[in-house]
Parts: sequence; structure tokens; C-alpha cells
Amino acid sequence: MSDKVFLNGKVVEHPHEIHHHVSPVRHYQVVLGALFVLTGLTYAVSFASLGPASLPVAMLVATIKASLVVGYFMHLKYDDRYNLFVFLGTLIFIGIFFGFTLFDLESRDALNDDQRTFTRVEEDFNNTGVKPAVGISNDPQRLAEFEAKHGGEHGAGHGAEAGAGGEAGHGGAEH
Amino acid sequence: MSNAHSHAAHTTGEHNPHLAHHFDTMGQQAGAAKLGMWLFLATELLMFSGLFLAYFVIRGFYPDMVLGAHEYLSKTAGGINTCVLLFSSYTMAMAVRSAQVGRPNNQEDAARIKKYLILTLLCAGIFLVVKYFEYSAKFEHGMLPGKFYTAHLHGYDIEGLPHIFFGVYFFMTGLHGFHVVIGMAIMVWIYLRASRGEFSEQNYAAVENAGLYWHLVDLIWIFLFPLLYLVK
Amino acid sequence: MSQQPATQDSHSSEEPNFYRAKSGLMSWLFTVDHKRLGVMYLASVLLFFFVAGFLAIALRTELFTPAQDFVSAATYNQLFTLHGAIMTFLFIIPATPGALGNILLPLMLGAKDVAFPRLNLLSFWIYSVAAVMLLCTLLLGGLDTGWTFYTPYSVHTGSAAGLAALGVFVAGFSSILTGLNFVVTVHRMRAPGQSWDRMPLFVWAIYATAVIQILATPVLAITVLLVAVERFLGIGIFDPAMGGDPVLFQHFFWFYSHPAVYIMILPGFGIISELVTVHSRKHIFGYKAIALSSVAIAIISFIVWGHHLFVSGQSELIGVIFSFLTFAVAVPTAIKVFSWVATLYGGSIVYNTPMWYALMFLWTFTIGGLTGLYLATISVDVHLHDTYFVVAHFHYVMMGGLAISFVGGLFHWWPKITGRFYNEALGKLSALLVFIGFNVTFGTQFFLGHQGMPRRYFAYLPEYTTMHQISTIGSWILALGLVIAGISLAMALRKSAPKAGPNPWNAMSLEWQTASPPIEHNFHDTPHVTCSPYDFPEIDKSGGGHH
Repeated sequence: MSDKVFLNGKVVEHPHEIHHHVSPVRHYQVVLGALFVLTGLTYAVSFASLGPASLPVAMLVATIKASLVVGYFMHLKYDDRYNLFVFLGTLIFIGIFFGFTLFDLESRDALNDDQRTFTRVEEDFNNTGVKPAVGISNDPQRLAEFEAKHGGEHGAGHGAEAGAGGEAGHGGAEH
Repeated sequence: MSNAHSHAAHTTGEHNPHLAHHFDTMGQQAGAAKLGMWLFLATELLMFSGLFLAYFVIRGFYPDMVLGAHEYLSKTAGGINTCVLLFSSYTMAMAVRSAQVGRPNNQEDAARIKKYLILTLLCAGIFLVVKYFEYSAKFEHGMLPGKFYTAHLHGYDIEGLPHIFFGVYFFMTGLHGFHVVIGMAIMVWIYLRASRGEFSEQNYAAVENAGLYWHLVDLIWIFLFPLLYLVK
Repeated sequence: MSQQPATQDSHSSEEPNFYRAKSGLMSWLFTVDHKRLGVMYLASVLLFFFVAGFLAIALRTELFTPAQDFVSAATYNQLFTLHGAIMTFLFIIPATPGALGNILLPLMLGAKDVAFPRLNLLSFWIYSVAAVMLLCTLLLGGLDTGWTFYTPYSVHTGSAAGLAALGVFVAGFSSILTGLNFVVTVHRMRAPGQSWDRMPLFVWAIYATAVIQILATPVLAITVLLVAVERFLGIGIFDPAMGGDPVLFQHFFWFYSHPAVYIMILPGFGIISELVTVHSRKHIFGYKAIALSSVAIAIISFIVWGHHLFVSGQSELIGVIFSFLTFAVAVPTAIKVFSWVATLYGGSIVYNTPMWYALMFLWTFTIGGLTGLYLATISVDVHLHDTYFVVAHFHYVMMGGLAISFVGGLFHWWPKITGRFYNEALGKLSALLVFIGFNVTFGTQFFLGHQGMPRRYFAYLPEYTTMHQISTIGSWILALGLVIAGISLAMALRKSAPKAGPNPWNAMSLEWQTASPPIEHNFHDTPHVTCSPYDFPEIDKSGGGHH
């Protein structure tokens, strides 16, 4: 084994030291505090009715929280730049995945409205006035098993509600 | 996983006993382990991104159904779990820090690493217990994924096709919960190695990588929580 | 690429090669030596190449006459599905990275091993589990969805699509872990002096491949997992009967599977870059262009997947965008082909078997690539989609691109792997037969497809008979050629085969600077790299891109 050691084709000056950054405990405590505050914030905001702004606000807060975790708890702020590159690169590819797929779904719907080449299941049901077959109602065999098992229990107690939902469900399943 | 080699080291003279034969320096070994972990995290992010995309698509298709169905999730349980996971992330970061400043073969420093690992494990346990109660409530009400969905027969009439929402809910939280369980197993393993006094400022890549994994679990929950439980 | 003065020659008689370093079955099954793992991958992928090739011959033979001959429609569906699934997931994707990459990558970098040797063993075992799972589908009702698992059929079929999907999920893990290992190896394990611009182009290609494996495969994992869950629970994401969207499945699937096409072909590019330089004794033309075009292809491959969905019901607007982006792939690919041709120009070409395969690749791959442009054009694709034109196109790229370069690479590195020479005369005969057989088989299918012959049909109209028969006869010639290639390679395993010595081709890259087969830890002393792997000393370098 040679005396000199190399990394990435370059001589390493102090091979027996590991380069590391040790954050002060205070940093971690502040970050934790900020994370709790932000969690409380989203929790509180969820009770306010922000309408269409609710999703962007929630995502913004989540992104800030995530950045704190990544930057401080995961040390990416002080780490090898290449690890940061890996992380951000991943986000870019996730963006590509989301961007194209969601763009297709958006623009596909626009075309649908024009040409009516596709209809969503739900639209179908809306147009025919029949409620969709939900879950177990899609599967006659499983539904029969369920009713055999829970028949007495639910037949009496929730008769009215279950009857309404179930009835419509059967209608949907048969169509 | 990527740090698995580090205790298979050949003891060569004055070299660090944790240095594997095919590396030249601890710096190279630790850097490789960490880069490997980050690449692994990249794959995890991409895998979960598929589920998040599925969520957004379903939300786009059936906005009213998603908003109706998500009301049945317990915001409080989700909020408690968020705080528990955030706190566990903190204790994990402290465990890593304790290893970073730990002196070799020092009982006291090893005990500090172990203390923080125990705290993290405890939080993970609380998270799973809360999850268990949430899941059993959903099971009881028939709010199950796909063709097992029976809530409408239990008297809960949710507009549209809620079996899709609960499918997405159970798949996302289930896969996340699976990662929590794996994370606990990793922490037990790290704990055992810490008991053997393996970790110190000269060798902490394994603790650090376990930490990175655990923070990722936290990271995913940070997005799952508002999307599934809170958003209107 | 020169090495330190202390060369291997004085040692090579003393230290045993990696085959002899340890013995016993366990020393193979639990080895962490990248070369042994590479050899085990090689044996596995060749086995699956044979199995899937056998299925292909069965398919072609059934198509010899228009009517149904010896397999039923359902069996035919299972045959082409298994042919595709085994070829894709068990042969093409793991072949070059798993087998040649494992053996060569650390050697080319001057490293003692890959960064995570035990992870490497794990990915081999995961691969084996996936292989068993995929083969088990045969016993459990087969698989008849096509290798693409399109919903809703894959959700409702009575065949073992759930198990197969999980098998693909597991195979994906193996692919991810291999890619991860290789990226870290390239970043962290290079020998002193081995800067990025002194890496062999095979390493660049494997690196770009590994990047795609890491970025794309996780999405495949979640996709097939969703299909499996959709089958078992019916959650309604992909299944329209439950309120899901089947086109969404295609987005998910092709987000992985289009980049996966480049997981398959990029390593082939790397092999060809080595073959054309070493056997024409000339510095590669445009080193940087070839290296960076690999990375460019890796990135562009992620923004073109929608060209698989032109007629699936995605929006027309995004179809146009995807069509446009697809053309962009042609640019880096053409840069590579031109560079290889320019490398050959004026070189001292040695017409041996590896070179014959390399030249064959230039022909077949270029046809495959150019016909891809036809299919990227929406208006043409509407006519040609799901016809034999598509079948011919992707066989020209996959078989004519990857499989042929893989076989050429085997011939090239066989002296390094086995320490002995293959049979040159049989090697050349095999190249000739493969070339004729391949073009007869798949060249004909371009015409069939253009006339409207749909893919995946077990019976067809009588007017297609002649061309189907030509294609079938071609497939037999192709199979014969591959068998002869196998015999030629197998002859190197005899004790009487001529010994190769460390560097039979007088190549400059590091894998040739150690014994053949290499010793267990690859090099006696860490090699020091001082120049490009393509600076051949005895020739005029004026044609080279840079030195």
C-alpha cells in the first residue's frame, strides 16, 4: 500500500481525519422549535377556510419544514456539494414526472369538454342520475358475503341510511 | 444498507479498524457511504413521488370526494404523530451528533448515543401505536381500500368514490409505516453496534446514514400530513 | 494509460487468479468479489437469453403459416409476454451493467472493488429471487399481459400478473442497488490520476446508465406495486371500473420504461466505443462529445415518454410536445454514431470478431435509431403503432443495438475474463450469420408492419405469408449464428485454447494492465493514470479529438 492516499484522483492531505461539521446543540433545538411552530400553524390554518389558497399554503409550510429538516438535521447545508446536487436533481426529476403527467390530465380534460371522447365514471353517474358503485358494491360476491355476515347487525340499526346508499350502489353495479 | 460493509474491515497495522480493505482512507469510506445513502434516498423520494402523484391525480379527478372523505381522518391523531416524528428526528440528529463528538472507546459517550437512539425508538413506537388506533377505527367503520370499502353499509355516506381515497390513504400511510418499522430495525442494529463501542468521531458513518434514513421518513410524513389530513 | 513501473508480469505467476483464489460452492454464492459476481451474472443472463431466445423461436415458428399451428392463442400470448419480460428484466437490463460492468468497472477505474461489495452480492441475490418469481408465473397460470402490464387487462386477467408484477418490483431493486453502487464507485474509487476525462468511455456509459437506474427504477417499483394492489384490493387508481385512469398507468409505466430503453442501450454504446478504438488502433474521435452525449441521453430520456401514448388517449397537445422532444434524442445519438465512424476513418482496423460485431452494430443500430424518428412523428405513428414496424424498430435497437454489442463485448473481453482466446474462425462465422439472420428476420418486419400486420397476433391474413416465412427463416439463421458464437466462446474454456496473456489487444485502459484473468484484488499496486485510455503509442494521433 502506498504512503499517499487519494480521493477522486487527488492526493488527500490529511487522510486520517474525517472532515465533518458538528452543529451546536442550540441549532437543533431552534430547528425543532421552528418545526413545532410551523406544524401548529398548518394545523390552525386547516380550520380556517382559505378556499383554493389552502393547498398552496399547506404545501409552502410543508416545504419550509422539509427544508429545515434537510438543511439542518440532514446536514445538507454543510455537506459535500454533490450530495446536495443529488437531492436537488431528484426533485427536478420528480418535477418532470409531475409536470408532464398533470399537464396531460389538465389538457386532456379540456379536449374532453370539446369532443366528449372520454367520460369519467363520476360524470357518467351524474348524467344518469345513478350513484356510483362504491367499494364492496362493485363485487357482488363480496357484497353477499358481507350481508350474510353483518346482515342482522346493520339491517336494523342503519336500515334507512344503508338502504339508500346500498340501493343506489346496486343500481350502479348492474349498469 | 449502503453502510453495511464498514465493520467488515481488515485490521491492517496502524489503520483504523473500521476501514474496509478496498478503501484507502476513512474519509473516502465515509464519503462513499454517505453518497450511497443519498442516492438511496433519491430512489425513495422518487418511489414515494409516484404515490403523491397518484394522490394529486385522484384529487384532480374527484375533488369533492377527497375533501369529503378526508374529514373522516383524525386531525388530532395526525397532528400528534407529526410532532412525535419531528421530535424523533431531533433525537436522531442528536444521536448522530453524539457520535460525531464521541471519543473512541468511551463508555460515557457511547451511552449518550444509546440514550438518543432509545428516545428515537420510543417515538417511533408511539407513532405506530397512534397509527394502530387510527387504522382500527377506520377498519371498524368499513373505511377500507377499494373493493373492501363498506362504510356506506355502516351508515357513512360519503359522496362519490371514497374507496379510492381510502385506497390512497392506506397505501401511502402503510408504505410510510413500513418504512418506520424498517427504521426501527435499523436503529436496534445501530444500538447494538453502539453497545459494542463501535462509534466515535473516527467512525460514525453508519449512525449518520441511519439518521439520514430516519429523517427521510420524517420528511415524507411532513408532506403526507397536510395532504391527507388537513388540506381543504 | 500507463502504470507504475512495478508491473504485474513479475508477480503474475505467483498470485492465483480470482477463480483460483478461493474454492468451493460457498466461495461463489457468498462472494463479495466483483469479478466473481460478474461471472455469476454473466452465467445467469446468458441462461435467460437462451430461454427467452428459445421462446422467440417458438413464436416465429408458429407464425410460419397463417393459421394456428401448434400453440393456441392463449399460449401465444404467454409466449410473447414471457419472451418480452425475460428478455427485458432478466437479460437486457442486467446484462451489461451486471455482467460486464461488474467485471470491468473497478478494473477500468484501477479500484480494488466496487464501493459496496456486500451490497453488490445482495443485488445479485435479489436478481435471482426476481428471476425465480418471474419463472414461477409459468407454473401459476402464466402471464398474458405483454411485458408492459397495461391496465385494466393486467388487473382483471386470470393469469399470474400479480406475482409477475411483484417479480418485476424485486428485479427493480436489484437494478437500483447496482446503479447506486456503480455511481458511488465512479465517484469515490477512481485510481490516482484517473480524472473524469481519463475514464474509459465504457465507464461513462455505465455511469450514465446507473444514473437512469437510480432515477427511473423507483417509479417502476411503485407502478407495479400499485398494479399488484389494484389487483388484490381494487383501489381504483388505474382501473377504470373502480374510477381510476388507465392512461395514468401508462404515464407511470413509461416514465420508467422509456428511460429503461436507455438503461438497455447506453452500456452498448460504451462497449462499441471501446471496440472501435482498440481494434482500429486509433484515439477515439470526440471523447468529450461521446462522454457527455451519454449523460445528455440519460437526461433527455426522461422527457420523451409520452411518445408511447400517442394513440392511448393522452391530450393531443402534450403528444405534440413529446413528439418534438423525442426528436431531440437523435442529436446526442447521432453525435455518437458519427464519432465512431470518424474514429474508424483512417484507423488501422483489425478485422477480428469484436470488430465485426462493432461494425454490425453501427449498421443495425443506425437503422433502429432512424426508424425511431418515423415513430416519433405523430401522424406516421398513428398508422404504424402496434404493427410489426414497431416490433422491428425496437428489435433493431434492443437486439441489434444491445444484444449485438454485448456479444461483441464478450468476444472483446473474453481473453480477460477467461485468460484464453475464443475460436476466431467460428467467431467470424457467427458474426456473419447473425448479421444475415438478424436483418432477414427484422428487416422484413418493417415491410410487414407498414402493410398493416398488427403485432401480438398468433394468426394472420394469407397475404402476409411470404414475408412472415422469410422472417421466420431469418430467425433460424440468427439463432444458428448465436449458437455458433456460443461455441466459439466456449472453446476458450478448453485447456488447449491459446493463452491470451494480460493484454492481447495492446489496449491502453487499465483492465488490460493486470493479469488475465485478474488476481483477486485486481492490481498488485494501485495503478497511477497519466494519460487518456485511447492514446495508442504507435500511431499517428492527429485524427483524435484531443489528447
